[in-house]
Amino acid sequence: MGDANGLDTFPKLMRHNAKVRGARPAMREKDLGIWQTWTWSQAQDEVKAFAMGLAALGVKRGDKVLIVGDNRPRLYWTVTAAQVIGAVPVPLYQDSVAREMAYVVEHASAAIAVVEDQEQVDKLLEIREEVPALQTIVYQDPRGLRNYTQDCLHDYAKVLESGRRALSEEPAGYDREVDRGRGNNDSIVLYTSGTTGKPKGVVLTFDNVISMARAGSEFEKLTEGEEVLAYLPMAWIGDHVFSFSQSYVTGFCVSCPENGSTVLHDLHELGPTYFFAPPRIFENLLTSVMIRMQDASHFKQKWFHYFLDVAKQVGEKILNGEKVSTADRIKYRLGTFFVYGPLKNVLGLTRCRLAYTAGEAIGPEIFQFYRSLGVNMKQLYGSTEASVFITVQPNGEIRADTVGRAIPGVELKLADNGEVMFRSPGVFKEYFKNPEATAETKTPDGWVRTGDAGMITPEGHLRIIDRAKDVGKLNDGSLFAPKFVENKLKFYPNIREAVTFGNGKDYVAAFVCIDQEAMGSWAERNNVAYASYQELAAHPRVRKIVEGHIREVNADLTKDPQLAALQIRRFLILHKDLDADDGELTRTRKVRRRTIAERYEPLIAALYNGSKIGHIETKVTFEDGREGVLAADLAIADLGGGTPAKQAA
Amino acid sequence: MNDISSQIPAEAAGTRQPERRFGEPLLTVENISLSFGGLQALTDISFDILEQEIRAIIGPNGAGKTSMLNVINGFYHPQKGTITYKGNIRRTMRPHMAAAQGIARTFQNVALFKGMSTLDNIMTGRLLKMHNLRAPETGVFGLDQVLRWGAGALDFVTQCLYWGPNEKEETRQRAYCEEIVDFLEIQAIRKTPVGRLPYGLQKRVELARALAMEPELLLLDEPMAGMNVEEKEDMSRFILDVNEEFGTTVALIEHDMGVVMDISDRVVVLDYGRKLADGRPDEVRSDRGVIDAYLGVAH
Repeated sequence: MGDANGLDTFPKLMRHNAKVRGARPAMREKDLGIWQTWTWSQAQDEVKAFAMGLAALGVKRGDKVLIVGDNRPRLYWTVTAAQVIGAVPVPLYQDSVAREMAYVVEHASAAIAVVEDQEQVDKLLEIREEVPALQTIVYQDPRGLRNYTQDCLHDYAKVLESGRRALSEEPAGYDREVDRGRGNNDSIVLYTSGTTGKPKGVVLTFDNVISMARAGSEFEKLTEGEEVLAYLPMAWIGDHVFSFSQSYVTGFCVSCPENGSTVLHDLHELGPTYFFAPPRIFENLLTSVMIRMQDASHFKQKWFHYFLDVAKQVGEKILNGEKVSTADRIKYRLGTFFVYGPLKNVLGLTRCRLAYTAGEAIGPEIFQFYRSLGVNMKQLYGSTEASVFITVQPNGEIRADTVGRAIPGVELKLADNGEVMFRSPGVFKEYFKNPEATAETKTPDGWVRTGDAGMITPEGHLRIIDRAKDVGKLNDGSLFAPKFVENKLKFYPNIREAVTFGNGKDYVAAFVCIDQEAMGSWAERNNVAYASYQELAAHPRVRKIVEGHIREVNADLTKDPQLAALQIRRFLILHKDLDADDGELTRTRKVRRRTIAERYEPLIAALYNGSKIGHIETKVTFEDGREGVLAADLAIADLGGGTPAKQAA
Repeated sequence: MNDISSQIPAEAAGTRQPERRFGEPLLTVENISLSFGGLQALTDISFDILEQEIRAIIGPNGAGKTSMLNVINGFYHPQKGTITYKGNIRRTMRPHMAAAQGIARTFQNVALFKGMSTLDNIMTGRLLKMHNLRAPETGVFGLDQVLRWGAGALDFVTQCLYWGPNEKEETRQRAYCEEIVDFLEIQAIRKTPVGRLPYGLQKRVELARALAMEPELLLLDEPMAGMNVEEKEDMSRFILDVNEEFGTTVALIEHDMGVVMDISDRVVVLDYGRKLADGRPDEVRSDRGVIDAYLGVAH
């Protein structure tokens, strides 16, 4: 792979790729309904020109360059172009509202932003008065911007042109700039979505990212023949490693979907070989298949479920290379022909030889479902501070309840309070302009606190239980791990989100948000009329269903004496979905407990004072940024006292 | 309603230039009167639509707005008055002639081909733009007719086979449709049968089909009826973009005052088939007659 050639920065890797595989595809994008392809050498030409164009706009070494937009080849090339001239790219979450963006723009003190379209331009113009440092905005899609007269706006095509002129005047300028880059330079600043407090800018050097991208690629034996779909936010470390860094390291092609809403179509057309998705996406895929199967003919349903049962029994064993009888093998082959093959095709997973999932715990049924179809799905544990990779499940050692072993180069240990700590070449340099936070997270000898509580199984696999700071105690002294219970609830397709309370309380209580798609489909088939999410959520029959799920979870919890106290005694169904726009979730859909505790204080009080109904008025933010108030009276269901723990079953 | 009118302008205003320059009158109606038997739908209406402007026609229910649009479109024939379109006084008129002259419209109740995909629906808007094979001109009596028939038959066959010049033609037309798909951001539903789409999206597909005709004058009959606030904002944005990017003149009927006041350049107000007021949104808004007849009435 050429580690020895001094390929220690992405611009150098790009130059290398353009030389050794110049005619191979580097990026694809679906434009006007047709996939357009750029080879490595074409991509390098664009990067060359844009880097020089940025320099002509006055971008200097060490400057920050904001990047805002969907996954677009040109935005990925902007990352490299900025790095060529020694500037540090700072991608932002493209769906952040202007107010959220203001903080990061200010904190990063960037003078220039490269954005996708009018939507992002509008947001930046809106906050421009607050952040006077932002002097220049380069936009890629001129649509709708014709009548904008601000001097700070520049068309990407014009910048490219000025870069080409500069190149023709001084052709050696590009190589000179690339050669100035060093592996220990800052390569990127990624702002973590911040489960608590303000986002922190994680500074990663080229050495960090490239070493981990290489380690990951070698661990999974990735080649230049992989196909990857880049559809997760560019500001997220996972996308930066899977769809950018690993592509530069191994030379595979990355494709960008047409837009956010066409991802599933594009997935189907492209058939990636290497695919990453958070559990939510795998869940959604499965839910949509199951909903469609419910509308299929009786015969098809029988057929489908028969073969799914076969897959459940033997599919995973076959994938793991275990011994399976010939009859079962034949049945599985038939199943592949009739059901699994077409199903994988619909899901876009036909060619997929490696699928990662991470970020949250995945439901064991969902995990096993995909594996039984023959999709090599694995769990991974990582963080921005680690340049993604901490642990990965090696082939043949895959379990639904662990996240695998530390990958080569990563050391792992547990702190006294059960917190997971790691040390690796990928450990971040610092939090940008925040030495206190850096000192808190990173010990002087290079160990990083993850903030996750975990345990190591006898086989050496890591198992994550919860956020270390969220683990608390009930009043009777038993352990309270909220996420552990919430995840059990969220594995039901009808439940989209759950929040449990119990720290310092007598018993565990929960908020539940229903999944509108799954519940809506149920309502349609059962002639339940409803006009809004709120009405559906408040429907007594919906409550009955959710109650059934909770009883099942409780029954499951009684099996383990240590967990019996976690049974949910009281719950209510929220009248609105938890939403990142309201600050209740992070942009990656992690629950912000403190915000929820504040916003829904009256409801939490109602859960613990025995009332039958909780009243709540909440402010909500609509997609256009306006705010309104939602008021609701929510019924609280009581499941009675917990069943004492059964003796180990 | 106050909510909407006070919220949207802030966003829309930033992008519009305060003084826009319009062209010559594209369409002028003078002293139009239309009656159905004893019912007088329109009485003595005169106004004009300038090139590149967004012109709104508003009024309470039954004011004659849709009738007015149907008159412009050539679907109704007024008993009195003249219509001048692009400098020519219109005599007899049929809707298909309006289409050929560059007038496209959408309907109050969505009128799409429900079983066809979004893309196919948009392609129907291109029909008039497609070039068919032409028979060569001959001077010989009779041969002309035969050649024309022959060319027609050949055209039919090559279209069925998607072959030869018709393949190229189809590709060219499809490319234009894709531009519109991109413009209106409906990539995800490109191949979805229209009947399965939610109402707001169907409205957008209808707009797409109208745009596929590359119209000079776009008539929109309640483009935002039955939409929620977000869908209305999207639609307003698209109408403004169409007007700006393609330079299309837009005449629209709309009930949502907030939307009308924000996006239109001039507004004509009808009530009981008569013209009450005509002018810029702020002028109309402060017109006593209009306030009494329409805006002042709680509804």
